[in-house]
This record gives sequence, structure tokens and C-alpha cells, in this order.
Amino acid sequence: MNLSHNWLQEYIDLDLSIEDLTEKLTLIGLEVEGVEEFGSKLEGVIVGKVLETIQHPNADRLKVCQVDLGTETVQIVCGAKNVAAGQKVPVATVGSTLPIKLDDGSLLTLRKAKLRGEESHGMICAADELGLGSDHSGILVLDENLEVGTPISEVFDMYQDTIIEIAITPNRPDATCHLGVARDLSAALNLPLKKPAVSEITQTSKADDYSITIESKNCHRYVGKLIRNIKIEESPEWLQNKLKAIGLRPVNNIVDITNYVMYELGQPLHAFDFDNFKTANITVKEFDKEVEFETLDHLKRKCAPGTLFICDGETPVAIAGIMGGLHSEVSDKTTNILLESAYFDPGTIRKTAKLQTLQTDASYRFERGIDPNMQAVAAQRAADLIMEICGGEAQDGVLDVHPIKTNSRTLTLRMSYLNRLLGTSFDVAQTIQILEGLELKLISQTTDTVTYEIPTFRPDLEREVDLIEEVGRLYDYNKIESPNHGIYVSTEPLTDWELLVSLIREMGVQLACREIYTNSLISEKEALNFVSKEQIIETLNPLNKDMSMMRPTLAHGFLKAASYNFNRSAQNIRFFEVGNVFERSEQSTFHEGIKEETHVLFGLSGLKQIEHWSSKPIAYSIFDLKALVESFFTKLGILQSVAVELLDDNTLQYSFKKTILGTVSEISSSLKKVYDIDHNVFVAEFNINAIQKVQKNRPAFKFTPVPKFPAFEFDFAVVVNQDVDAGSMMKVIKNKAGNTLKNIDIFDVYEGKSIGEGSKSIAFRLNFIDPNKTLNVKDVEPIIQRVLKTLEKQFSAKLRS
Amino acid sequence: MPDDIKALLQEIADFSVTNASELENFRLEFISKNGKVQSMFKKMGSIPKEEKAAFGKSMNDLKNAAQSRFEELKAQFDTGSTNNKTALDDITLSAPTLPVGSLHPLTQTLEEMKKIFYRLGFTISDGPEIEDDFHNFTALNFPPNHPARDEQDTFFVRKSDDPAVGDLVLRTHTSPVQIRLMEKQKPPIRAIMPGRVYRNEAVSAKSYFLFHQVEALYIDKNVSVADLKETLITFAKLMFGNDVKYRLRPGFFPFTEPSLEMDIWWEANGKGRWLEILGSGMVDPNVLIASGVDPEEYTGFAWGMGVERIAIVRHEIDDIRTFYENDIRFLEQFN
Repeated sequence: MNLSHNWLQEYIDLDLSIEDLTEKLTLIGLEVEGVEEFGSKLEGVIVGKVLETIQHPNADRLKVCQVDLGTETVQIVCGAKNVAAGQKVPVATVGSTLPIKLDDGSLLTLRKAKLRGEESHGMICAADELGLGSDHSGILVLDENLEVGTPISEVFDMYQDTIIEIAITPNRPDATCHLGVARDLSAALNLPLKKPAVSEITQTSKADDYSITIESKNCHRYVGKLIRNIKIEESPEWLQNKLKAIGLRPVNNIVDITNYVMYELGQPLHAFDFDNFKTANITVKEFDKEVEFETLDHLKRKCAPGTLFICDGETPVAIAGIMGGLHSEVSDKTTNILLESAYFDPGTIRKTAKLQTLQTDASYRFERGIDPNMQAVAAQRAADLIMEICGGEAQDGVLDVHPIKTNSRTLTLRMSYLNRLLGTSFDVAQTIQILEGLELKLISQTTDTVTYEIPTFRPDLEREVDLIEEVGRLYDYNKIESPNHGIYVSTEPLTDWELLVSLIREMGVQLACREIYTNSLISEKEALNFVSKEQIIETLNPLNKDMSMMRPTLAHGFLKAASYNFNRSAQNIRFFEVGNVFERSEQSTFHEGIKEETHVLFGLSGLKQIEHWSSKPIAYSIFDLKALVESFFTKLGILQSVAVELLDDNTLQYSFKKTILGTVSEISSSLKKVYDIDHNVFVAEFNINAIQKVQKNRPAFKFTPVPKFPAFEFDFAVVVNQDVDAGSMMKVIKNKAGNTLKNIDIFDVYEGKSIGEGSKSIAFRLNFIDPNKTLNVKDVEPIIQRVLKTLEKQFSAKLRS
Repeated sequence: MPDDIKALLQEIADFSVTNASELENFRLEFISKNGKVQSMFKKMGSIPKEEKAAFGKSMNDLKNAAQSRFEELKAQFDTGSTNNKTALDDITLSAPTLPVGSLHPLTQTLEEMKKIFYRLGFTISDGPEIEDDFHNFTALNFPPNHPARDEQDTFFVRKSDDPAVGDLVLRTHTSPVQIRLMEKQKPPIRAIMPGRVYRNEAVSAKSYFLFHQVEALYIDKNVSVADLKETLITFAKLMFGNDVKYRLRPGFFPFTEPSLEMDIWWEANGKGRWLEILGSGMVDPNVLIASGVDPEEYTGFAWGMGVERIAIVRHEIDDIRTFYENDIRFLEQFN
């Protein structure tokens, strides 16, 4: 909200610089977001007399003028057609600043200049250039009797103000007006508050010319005041200036007064043209069908069933609390008006404002909850101003229909709780002193408690703790002293989950991958590359279609990041990511039907070795990723127990006993095409939740003595059919070889005519160690025989001699 | 020693070579069968008897000198200290690069925050990104139809009119983890909760529809604003340096009462300004009650801050979207 410094000072005598005032506002919770000067004193702009004008030698449209400024005569180049010798004109002298905003937000400051070769010492100004209206047709010609050299601020009444923009938190409806802010400042600064005078109010429940009927529980109160024979005109200058300064456009005297009272007291008001009413039976009600209604902004709006309306009989004339209708708008011809001052239920107004995507100054206040006891006062205040400014005769008193009354709350504040929560040691007297000025009504006090009646303009003060916040903010949190005890003694241990996820991130770095953060909202089309439609979780109100689905895998983000970098000439992609993935599934995690788990992805693509004098370019292969993954499982301490299974030609599945941990795969060419990637792409994605499960069951780590005896190495090669995979054979060898086998690897793979079409030879190297003796060929021979027998039985493998 | 031997010794000592063929010349000239040293032996016959022994010794020294000079010259090539090496022997050639791993800048900032909290004895906790209305709003004291809900534009995953089946949303903050923690653990509780959160906001250089927060929660018997303040200041000093200038001011969050925000004074390009870094407050009694904690027995504080916001400030990053593009040229600046 924009606050006018001038306006504020009508209610409180502030003896503070703008800097101190804005700091104070921020420190009591009315955060200052910006400060701007309104208007200008036009220092350095003075009355000058044009002595002569001659045509500029190099420009048809410019004239070179000699201008008498009283103390000196200067040359000024002027482009206005109406400039002529003998005129008295406003001259902005060199160094003066005009209220003309430049592109960078600063104001125009005049400097000596050369215009097409002719020197110019200042500027002869048009009215708009001085902030005096909008006339830019030519320079402003002044009264010829003015003395040369007179400051322009003495010629015109220059309105000047400082505008402070404050952010108002949703719990402070009382601060949406100048009086409310002044009240807070009066409490914080211990200064008296001067409230505007309102003439005595008489409330009646009946009026002669109209009636008010409330048919909805969402209107707690409706106050009407009829004023006849007013004259619609432009508002007086003081009123226009005030509104302009806070950024409101003056409309006419009636509308301006309703706005003025709203910014003064926080009560939104509406003025209807009374003569446009057919029945003059004002009814506040909802309809159970959709209603089309044209608002002041000339929009025909479809209003949902349940929208609260102000009606003339059965005909809607305003959307309650949000905007009036076009039909009953106050116009130049209006002579009789009905003022509305009401209280509407905050939730109802918020709902309608959201549905209509229409936030107005009125809805902004209603939805925060205005003072339910302000309606009659605000109506009378507006009526006073209307009769003063627009003439007319008001009805006696106000017609006040008030079906739902709000009673003041009573709150008791215990010093024990206050001091426990703030870490202070205030007593009752100090507390009362701090809260002084908020207009809380002191009911009673004891040595440890103080009881207040809470004014209805503070709906946020509902509980004891809310009063404690008032004490804290008015005292200033910065002044609360440090606790004189150490608060952190017993340290909480870190969770296994956190240790695991941190370790995995660390491993990503150790494995020389760069961590990426990818988007978890993707398009349906993208999601369908990885899972079926039934598995995808969609958001109901996405920003756009490209970001509507929760990612079911980290692979998409990686492929996009790889493609992005390849398009920018990257050659070596080596990434990892840790993040959550989402899927519809019976195996719910936190919420029924939704599986949300944390995954880690490792992705390689492009060249692991770019072209270099020492080597030809080497592209990544699936074995680079397998090696990386093995290091990963080694670090996790579970490599020995991880089983690898071939899912299809391009995918290996890793599991631990029955728990599937994830996969390592080569991305298919069709999928690479989708992401516009030409290089081979290899992706490993593992479920960290599953890893944690298997890690939990791992026995505690104990060291094994380093073997005292040397290892015995044995090599052999077998010939098998092409479709036998090496992984399966290794599994069999491991099973059959017994516990002296420590390691197994493949050191040669061969296919060629010498071993026959459709066959291949695989050469294994086995390492045996016995902790108790040195093994020799006699010990190993029987093991190899056993292994070969099984290989032959299962894979028709023949020993290659 | 005869002068001719002396002269020959000198000649051998002065001989220098720059390549292998010159070395071969040396061998031919001095050491080979027809070389100068062997030729000198032929003079033995004409030496008087009584001088023969001395001459023989000199000749032996000469022969050894020629041989060791040859070895010496040869060694020059073996250690590569002469020009006689291949193009690949040049150790100034560029080395092939090893890939370097790195944490994402957001992880780096988060890790720094975590380290500070660990020093203060906090543990860490987390929860799901898809959250129910109860944990994301209701339990955190956001009444239905309250304007505070508007401040967090929400993505919905499920909307339900049936009160038994609540709405599901993408969590708008990490605060629901507080509720989950209090539901399962009795105080004292001291934990931080980092994680990804979502807001349905238009994308710009300043705002993205997802970002990361760290939330801190401390619940115990006598936790006060003074304790909160002390913790905030400790954090700010460890994160931004001991001389950091800060201020606390009232704020508003539905789930804390009183609520405070912290600003630090930030100078960049010669211009200083107050920069909001975090929101905090005493956990609202309604939140404690919703989580099964008695507010008369326990009090506590909570605070939250954006990881992106802090990272942007520290590294002077001008566009939040940079974090999610994963451009290697960006990532490799954060080793």
C-alpha cells in the first residue's frame, strides 16, 4: 500500500527523518518496499523574460532566445512554436531538476548543452514539464506582471509529498489505511494519535425512501446513507493531490471521497446513483444459478452460483465487496446518491475475487477482514465530506442493518508465558507500557497477568500468543538480549538416510561426474517415453503443458541436459543427479496410490577421450558405465552381493537378493532421436530407498586378515555358442568354484573361423587363495574340472586347448 | 707425462658432441682400433726402457679417459639432455584431461548450511514432495480460504470435495516435514529439513516454479525468541562472516507466532541494501496442537530460507534459471 507522508502527519506529529520513519515502519512489521518523491518544489525554476528570439541557423524548428533571468541574461534554444519576445516564461536553469522521469527512473537534471551548434543555458518549460497538468502544446506563458527571477514555486502552489510503499502482511487489515498506520506508529513512538472528527451518528433501522434487507449470512452488516441534491464536479485540489500522490486517479468528487475515506479509515465505500434504482429495496443475497453481470470496468462477467450480490429488489447492482455495476455508476448527471458501508465475510469475498481474478482496493480490504464496527462511522465521515464538498442534504442518521454482531474479545496475557516465549523478563507495568497506544482496553491486572478487551479492528489478536507478538514487535526484537545459557548441549545424531544420500553425492564427485539439478515437472509426451499413461502423476493446474507431469525417472532430465550441452559443443558428458521420482502405484510410499522415491542417476555420453596427440578419440561404452557402477557398489560395500541380470540386449538389472536396485542401460536409437542426440548414451539409475533397505541388513563391518599365502592363478578358455552370455557363465563359475575363489575376470574374447561359425571363445582368469596354505595346481585342478563339467552341461561349453 | 699424450688428453676433454653421429665420430677418432689412442700405443716401441713404465701408465690413463669421456657423452643422449630425442619426448606437450566431478552450486550452498547446523547439534529430516493438504496447509495453521494461501500459489495433484479424501499438492514449502517429524518424535526435536518445493508462478529471471528450501525446527521445554535470535545470528555469522550486519523485523507466517524475518546488509558494486535472507518465528500453538505437542509444556522455533536465494547472492548469479540448465560451462565454475 502507498502511504502519503503528508496524510500520515494529519494523525500523528512525526518528528523523524524519512529514513528513520521507514526504518521504524519496517521494524514494527510494516515493511517498507520503496520510497518515492511526489511532485517537486522546482528549485532553480524561475520566471524569465524573453528578450528576443531569432531563427536557429541550422534548424527550422528551433529558435535561439535571449532570456533575462534578473541576475543575468542567458541564451536558450527553444523548440516551442509559441515562444515570442516580451513573454514572461518559466525557465529551468542549469542544474535544476524537473519532474520528468528518464528511462533509468531518475529525474531530468538540466545541463549546459549545444543544440545544433548553438549554446543553450537551460530550458523554457511547458506546463507538463513542471508537473502542472498535461499541457504540452507549447511553453507556459506566465502573467506579464510577475517579477523576473521569482521562483516558480511562489507562482504556483506546488504539491509535494513523500510516498512510502509498505507491504502489509495478511494478518494486519488494520494497517490498510493511514489512520491504522498512524496508530501503530503512535504505539511504537509513544506519540498521541489525532483521529479525524466525525459528526455525531444516529442509527435508525428504517428509512423513508429505501430499505435494506440482508438475506445472506455472509453480509454481517450493511449501512446506508442517502444524500440528495449533490453536485458532481471535479474534486478540490487538496483532495486530488492526496489521491494522486498515493497513485489513485481522481474521478469525481463523490468517487474521490469514497476512496479518500477508504484510505483514511480502511472501510471500503460504494456510492450508487440513487435514481437508477427501480425499487430502492436494497437486498444483499446470493443466487443459486450463474448470473451475468456487467461491472464498472465494462466487463460482462459470469458469476458463479453463490456469488454475493447487492440487488435493487431482485436485480444485481454490485458484486458485494468487489466492484459495482455499470448501470448504477455515479455519473456527471447524478444528483442523489446512496452510500454503502458494509461488512462482508472475508472468505466469501476472497473466493469471488479469485474466481473473477479481480482484486480491487475494496476486495483487498474485505478479504483481510475490516473492522466490523467501522461501517456507521465511515458512512458518516463520507457524508460529512460530501456535504462539505458536493453540497446536498443527507438523510438523518444512517440506516444500519446489523444482523451479525461482532463482540470484542477479551484476552489475558500471563507474564510467565510472555517471558518464556520471548526470553525476556517484563513485568505487568512494562508490558502495559509497551502495548500503550494500540487502543487495547485494559480490563484488569494482577501481578502476573494483564487482561485486555481487544478492539474489533484487530481480528488478528485472537489468542494470548498474538498479544505476545505485539509486545515483541513494539519492543523491537533487535533489543531482546541473548540468552545467558548455552542452548545446544546434546547433539542429535544424523540419520542413516542422510548419511547414505550424502555418501552417494560424494561418490558422484569421486567418480568424476558433475552433479545436475533437473526439472521434476515434464510433459506427458516426455513421461510416456519411460512409463505408461496409468503410471504418470499429473498436476491439475500446470503452468503449461510442457511442465504438467511429475517425472517418473531421472533419465529424462539427464537426456535433456546432455542434448542441451551437445548443442553447445560439449563433447564429454559425465553427470549424476540425486532426486525424487514419482509414479502411480499400489506400492504407496506416503500417500495412497502414489510412489515417491529418491533415485540416483549416473549418465555418460560422448567422448571419454577427445582427440589428442596421445590417443585417438574414444567414445564411452557401456563398460565405462559398468565400471563406474561397480566402483559405486564397492563404495557402498555391497558389490559382492549385487547380482546382475540381463533384462534385454541393452539393459542390465542390478539387485540385492530379491530387492531390485536399478538398471544400467544403453539408450535406444529411437529414444536418442527424441532428444536429438547423436552420441551413444549410457544411463544407470538406482533407487536409493532400495539401497538403504539392503544396506540396513548388512552385518557390521569387520576386517579380514590380509592373506599370508600367495594367490594361485588359473587361466582357461571355453568355446560356446554365440548366444550364451558371459555373465551367466561367470555366475556358474562363482557358484561351483567354492570359497577359495577370490576373483574372476575375462581376459580375452575371440570369434573367428578357426573356432567355427556361430561360436565364440571366452577366456577366464581365476584367482584362488587359501588363508591356511599355499595352493598349487593339484589343489585347483579338481575345482577347474568341476567348473568345466558344469559349463559343459549348462552351456555346451568346450574347453579350448 | 709426454706432451703428445697431454695434448691428446686435452683434445678428448674438449671434444663435444651434439648428436649421435658426432658421438660415433668421437668413437672412431679416439677409441676404435685405428683411433688416436691405439696409434699412440704404437709409439711404445720407440720409448727408452727406463721410461716405458711411466709411459705405459700414462697410456692407460689416456685410454680410461677416452672411454669415460665416451660414456659421459653417450649418457648425455641417454638422459635426453641433448637435442637427440623424438617429438613425443617433449614433456611440455599437453596432457590428456581427466574428468573432474563436482557438486551442483545449490548442493554446495546447502552443504555449507548443513555444516553450520550440524555444529549447532541439529540433525536432518525429510518428507515427500507430493504432500497432502493437512501437512502442507491445515496443520500449519493455514485456515481454508485464508489470504495466506494465496501467497503460495499451489500446484494440485488431487482436488477433492470429500473431507475424508484431502487435496494433494506439490508442497509449497518444507514446513510439512516439521509436522511429520513432530508426529513421529517426541520433543526435544532439533532438525533441519532441506528439500525441493514448488510454486505455481510464472518463470522469470527472478522466479522459478520449483526451488529449494531449508527449514529448521527446535522444540523443547523453554525455547524462546532470545534463543531463536541467538541461533539466527550465529548462523548469519558462520554463513556470511563474523562482521555481517543484520536486523530482525516482524513478519507474518501462519505457522509461527510471533514471526520474524532477518535481513542482512549486502553490498555489491558499491551499493548496499537490506536483503531478506530468512523467515522465522516461534512455532504457533495451533501447529503444536495439530502435531500432538502440548504448547503449555513445549515451545519451539522454526525458520526457513531459500537455497537459491542464498546461492544467487553469494555468487552474484543474475538468473535463477541458470541452476536448472545444467550447462557444463556453468557447472565447471563450481569445482
